[in-house]
Amino acid sequence: MTVHNIRVGESKRGDASDGTLAEAVGGRLSRVDGPAKITGAAKYAVEQQLEGLAYAVLVESTIASGKVRAIDTASAEASPGVLRVLTPDTIISLRTASDWLGTTPPDKPYCPLARDITFSGQHVAAVVAETFEQAVAAAALVNVSYDETPSIVDLSDGKAGDGIAIDAMTKEWGDAPAAFAAAPVRICAAYNTPREYQAPMEPHGLIARWEGDRLTVWEPSQWLDGMARTYAEWFEVPFENVRLVSPYIGGGFGSKALALSHGAVAASAAKMIGRPVKLVMTRPQTFTGYGGRAATRQTVTIGADRDGVIQSIVHRGVNETSIDGMWVEPLGSVTSIMYATPNFSSKQNVVRVNSVVPGAMRAPGENPSAFGIESAIDELAYEVGIDPLEIRLRNYAEQDPHAKKAWSTRQLREAFAAGAERFGWSRRSPKPRSMRDGNQLIGWGVAAGTYPVRRAYGEAVVRILADGSVEVESSSIDMGQGTYTILAQTAAETLGVPADDVVVKLGDSRFARAGVSGGSRLAGVMTGAVHKAATSALDQLVGLAISDPRSPFHALQANTLVVANGRIGSPRGDGPDVSIAELLKSVGRDRIEATGDTMPANSTAEDRYKNYTTIAMALPHTEGDYSRYSWCAHFIEVRVDEDFGTVRVSRVVSALDSGRLYNPKLAESQWKGGIIMGIGQALLEEGIMDRRHGRIVNNNLADYLVPTNADIPDIEVISVGIPDPHSSALGGKGVGELGIVGVAPAIANAVFHATGKRVRDLPITLEKLI
Amino acid sequence: MAGIAVSTTINGDITEYLCQPDETLLDVLRDRLGLTGAKEGCGTGDCGACSIILDNRLVCSCLVLGAEAEGRRIETVEGMAHGDQLHTLQQKFLEHAALQCGICTPGFLIAAKDLLAKNPDPSEEEIRFGLAGNLCRCTGYDKIVRAVQDAAIVMKGA
Repeated sequence: MTVHNIRVGESKRGDASDGTLAEAVGGRLSRVDGPAKITGAAKYAVEQQLEGLAYAVLVESTIASGKVRAIDTASAEASPGVLRVLTPDTIISLRTASDWLGTTPPDKPYCPLARDITFSGQHVAAVVAETFEQAVAAAALVNVSYDETPSIVDLSDGKAGDGIAIDAMTKEWGDAPAAFAAAPVRICAAYNTPREYQAPMEPHGLIARWEGDRLTVWEPSQWLDGMARTYAEWFEVPFENVRLVSPYIGGGFGSKALALSHGAVAASAAKMIGRPVKLVMTRPQTFTGYGGRAATRQTVTIGADRDGVIQSIVHRGVNETSIDGMWVEPLGSVTSIMYATPNFSSKQNVVRVNSVVPGAMRAPGENPSAFGIESAIDELAYEVGIDPLEIRLRNYAEQDPHAKKAWSTRQLREAFAAGAERFGWSRRSPKPRSMRDGNQLIGWGVAAGTYPVRRAYGEAVVRILADGSVEVESSSIDMGQGTYTILAQTAAETLGVPADDVVVKLGDSRFARAGVSGGSRLAGVMTGAVHKAATSALDQLVGLAISDPRSPFHALQANTLVVANGRIGSPRGDGPDVSIAELLKSVGRDRIEATGDTMPANSTAEDRYKNYTTIAMALPHTEGDYSRYSWCAHFIEVRVDEDFGTVRVSRVVSALDSGRLYNPKLAESQWKGGIIMGIGQALLEEGIMDRRHGRIVNNNLADYLVPTNADIPDIEVISVGIPDPHSSALGGKGVGELGIVGVAPAIANAVFHATGKRVRDLPITLEKLI
Repeated sequence: MAGIAVSTTINGDITEYLCQPDETLLDVLRDRLGLTGAKEGCGTGDCGACSIILDNRLVCSCLVLGAEAEGRRIETVEGMAHGDQLHTLQQKFLEHAALQCGICTPGFLIAAKDLLAKNPDPSEEEIRFGLAGNLCRCTGYDKIVRAVQDAAIVMKGA
């Protein structure tokens, strides 16, 4: 449970420079969780201080493939303060849990510590001790011996093979190979992206505590109910017996949505020693404790007319997955919808390598997919001698080319126009290497991005309390996107109370259930649920005021009343004017409570459980008559040192269509965060493998380079969205993932414009340019 | 458990604690003293989330041992506001939306405080390079730079 009890006067308000009241939906209210965070008072999940806390530290495999022969724990067990050493032989037995679709799992035990090693960095043992330092010291004494077998390091390993065809990824219409063969202009190129890591600033970790058969887990989580389900299934206790608490989440970017093996280790340890246990991964462990973005390979071929009109796209993609897990990074997702083409074919394989199973990282699928198609269309533009912006407009998809449905809203043309205008695109000199500033080659690149609108059913509780203040409760979360703030705005606007009077409580699975906070769906789902709950609470309030004989409005015989700024009055202002608190007192009520539930009315308890603990009931983005996506266009300037090949991004203008923005101040911040993650992807980020041992050699923040302040220029973002009633109750589309999609190809395209060199392998490092 | 007795000054208050020889100052602050404002993002001095000011010098508290704080003066994010009165930098971080998840924020605030103490009128480039030791994965940095610029103007006028 979270209550932001630090209030700092005026600072809580935002500015209202866009003309909207800051507190209303669409206003620039400053984040309501801000004061707690900037004063250091916000307590994150693993910062809970518990009596009797013990500390667990993981021991990881040092080989990438083989078997654990033996684990010698004698020295570790004799080390000061050690309470228990957990190995595959000594850890308690768990049951296999269902996956995120809720698929019934095989009826077999689950052991979060591995005997069969399929990647380097796999958890093989854990030490629990009185202090963290003692656990670290003892973990170093655990002696693991192995029988090593040859490993497949990555996609470029000769042993990797062609992989497994994923037929569900195939998308085809027309006759793409024939149309390609017949096209007067043909381009074909391969585009590669490396392993990338979410690297949220807060490492993964948890505190687990058992009280009898009840488990409480304090853990940063993008999905409390989903993770509670997994813990319940692992430990064979009822779902209701597991409580997840996650008041603030220090970034996730897709990586904190699922219960992971380290969580199973910590909760097992807590059960075994009968004390609460804290386990926090070291930063290096975060590179193998869960999956980052899979490495990908794509081939894009485009057949076009001489005037650049696309006739055919043939696309083949491959992504890596683990030896015993399955991750599909949908590489044809943008390829199949960005441009109109009469003929299309996309197919995808996955290849097994000795890695942790890859996972979701900001715009999984769309991100690498856009790198392929948005680089390829740039290549086509130069091939036919057409401006890169013009060729995108010439092939503009007026409807979803794959689903053959109308777009719900697509402000991409507006994004191109607004971005180009602000960037000054018309002043671009078309030839590569034609713009320079001293020894710096200047390049201007453009690329588009998109992300589907993922929709789901949601639930929220809204309470009007005796003092007139309002509580909103949901087990959804805020990892920095601004959930606390936009839900306060939604409740405030709907009920007619100041946002300061609204307390939003999130991050506790005891609250109204919530599905995953992923795929940029949370804001749309939760504003809808809170709006519904608040509307219902308002109806109750006004109903009481009109009909209760004790109400001061009873004699007025009004049909309706107006609630504004926490006060109730008649629409014509001719009757009494009382505060909500006064009205509740007059009718003898200490609260009004309403649940907003957007599930269909005939939903069963089983439907609800499934809706909130799995992703099986998410609504397709092409359901009904419309295809729903967010859109963006990035215009980027790079400066490339002619002698050293170093690339700096010197200017970014991005125009984005996320529909209606619930809070532009916070949405802009997320877009910018996505854009700099895209700059990192384009220029810096790459998991580098040791080819002998299959280890990630740069598994820390000194060597896995993420952008720093000094790498980042001025970034300007422009909202071109309009309310989209087909995408959400209040008209918003997705925000969080959109910003990163298209940044890397815009930079690659700018680098080509600057240097005449086309880099198709990310990241674009200097040795690829000189 | 016995330990090393340390007497130090934290945010103006004389503070005494016992710590083990292998305990970092960051862990002492967070686990023994309940000052969880400084965060651990890496434990190796790469991310700056644990930034504190130790005797007027900006340091990563994950790289300092608790025992080393003897007789020294420590400033953490918890000492920046006075009651409800936020430090100008805190105020500007809020106004400019210069924070999201909040893990890097205390480190940025402390590093920015140190930067402005040494250079009250920094250029944008000086801010960007001065704060390059603090990593943020959420905000895009841009708003942090604006917040520090804006705070510098206010603080110069004060």
